[in-house]
Amino acid sequence: MNANREDIEELIYDSCMALDQSDYDAYMDLCSPDFSYKLSAYSPEVKQEMTWLDHNRDEIEHLFHTLPKHNSDRNPLTRNAVVYRVKVDENHKRADVVSSFQIFKTALNGGHSELFAVGKYFDTVSLEGGKPALVNRHVKLDTRDLGWGYHVPF
Amino acid sequence: MSRNESQWTQRPTLPMSHYADPAIYYDENIFAEEQEKIFSKVWQLAIHESEIPQPYDYRTYQHPAGREVVIVRGEDKRIRTFYNICPHRGNLLVYEPSGNAKKLVCIFHQWAFNGKGECVDIPRDKNGYQDRVCKNDVGLKEVRTEVGYGGFVWINVDDNCDSLSSHIGGALDYMLPELEAEPLQTLWYYQARLKTNFKLIHDTNSEFYHDYLHYHNRVTGMLDPKSGYFQRKYTAFPNGHASVGSMEVKYDAYKGGGHSELGWPELPPQGWKLVDLFPCITFNLRTSVLRIDSYIPLGPKDVLLEFRALGLKSDTAETRAQREKDAATIWSPFGRNLHEDLLASSGQGVAMTAHSDPMYVLQAREEDLTIHDEIGMRHYLQEWSKRMGRSSADPYAKSAQAKMA
Repeated sequence: MNANREDIEELIYDSCMALDQSDYDAYMDLCSPDFSYKLSAYSPEVKQEMTWLDHNRDEIEHLFHTLPKHNSDRNPLTRNAVVYRVKVDENHKRADVVSSFQIFKTALNGGHSELFAVGKYFDTVSLEGGKPALVNRHVKLDTRDLGWGYHVPF
Repeated sequence: MSRNESQWTQRPTLPMSHYADPAIYYDENIFAEEQEKIFSKVWQLAIHESEIPQPYDYRTYQHPAGREVVIVRGEDKRIRTFYNICPHRGNLLVYEPSGNAKKLVCIFHQWAFNGKGECVDIPRDKNGYQDRVCKNDVGLKEVRTEVGYGGFVWINVDDNCDSLSSHIGGALDYMLPELEAEPLQTLWYYQARLKTNFKLIHDTNSEFYHDYLHYHNRVTGMLDPKSGYFQRKYTAFPNGHASVGSMEVKYDAYKGGGHSELGWPELPPQGWKLVDLFPCITFNLRTSVLRIDSYIPLGPKDVLLEFRALGLKSDTAETRAQREKDAATIWSPFGRNLHEDLLASSGQGVAMTAHSDPMYVLQAREEDLTIHDEIGMRHYLQEWSKRMGRSSADPYAKSAQAKMA
């Protein structure tokens, strides 16, 4: 396909909406067969890059499928992303995409929203098929105190 | 049958060692007393030595007795701890959580201190102080510090405390081969602040009956008769510590974790050892990763949680990545188990308040000290009661007053 920034941006935003709506099948539809996902944060306390999720496509699909079996915070998240940079490699039919995000949590009880996390998506996008697809997503968190945590990936 | 108010607030017909008054989880005065009688007296695990590997490295730490401290590796490589306060005008000496500095220099008036806590510079000292204030008189306040049990840095703000080994006793002997097989390395540091009582979170490490909370633990242990889950036994040690016997974790039973066959020196394959130390430290070695919990209570319903994941200093980048992945499945902020533990402890914090009319809390299960026996909590609260000078089941001494009346 021809590289089109608008299509790539739409992919990033669709990935946020799919997770916001807990539509995990729709999220996986946006990912290539060799999709991988990693979430990390840098700790200034111990001066280490810390990997808090690291999954291939099979593993992250299993993660989604087992969610109903777990006790989880059910207060929904809203992912608000802005695509900062799209760098297309026409030869390899790939694009590197950097997006900034803020994630808000809205309480089921009362509806109060609060900022939960900020960070960036570093995505590799395949441009080989009829539509762009996520090949790799690396979530780099700035926020490290996530309270009691959350079971659904960002 | 539901209960009326009188029945709801009635003491259980059990020994007092088998239930707790909920006030110990929310009362401001009891918390202030815990700071004085417990946290100002006991050894606290502050950091791991791998976090300050080089001379002049430092780490700050918020001690639960209320002191801000800075932990420094000196030029002589010895690790010392000082109050993080400039003796001149009471400013913080160090602002960042970690760093490297040949001298700790106060930004306010540039007073400077070396890694032994000695004052080495006072700008224009003779002009202002003549000989009335000398560098020798204004050193930093040093805090008792020991390094041990796998390279952890332990501190005690009581100058007259007993040694660390006398506090730990034999509680960590069971895990010492694994802790001392090779030098360790901190992989993660996760800090979270929650609105609950520190003892409620420590409880989740002191009793395993709550594995009903964890789908992961049920399928990888409880539901597999060959895992040895129900044979795990508690051992109580002096000073409120306890250990839990090992089992064989069946990670294959949980799909989607991507857990490896990677192990740990001296630990049986797929093994799991756990030691709880009074008042709020846990050593948790599960197959390939050592997790350390150390909590910093800030108030009766306010706690700063510190979670560390450790691997081996000798790990290659690939091995380290696998250890992190193994740990992430259950123990990261996105992990299956940690989130569930913290949800439950936070729910207790919401439900048990001074005005919510909570009932007595039970820790009454007796199963021959095996995994669902609540001896861990009973043993903990026995030590708590000894240090606080009254029973955790009756912290306001109501039963004694009732008897006298």
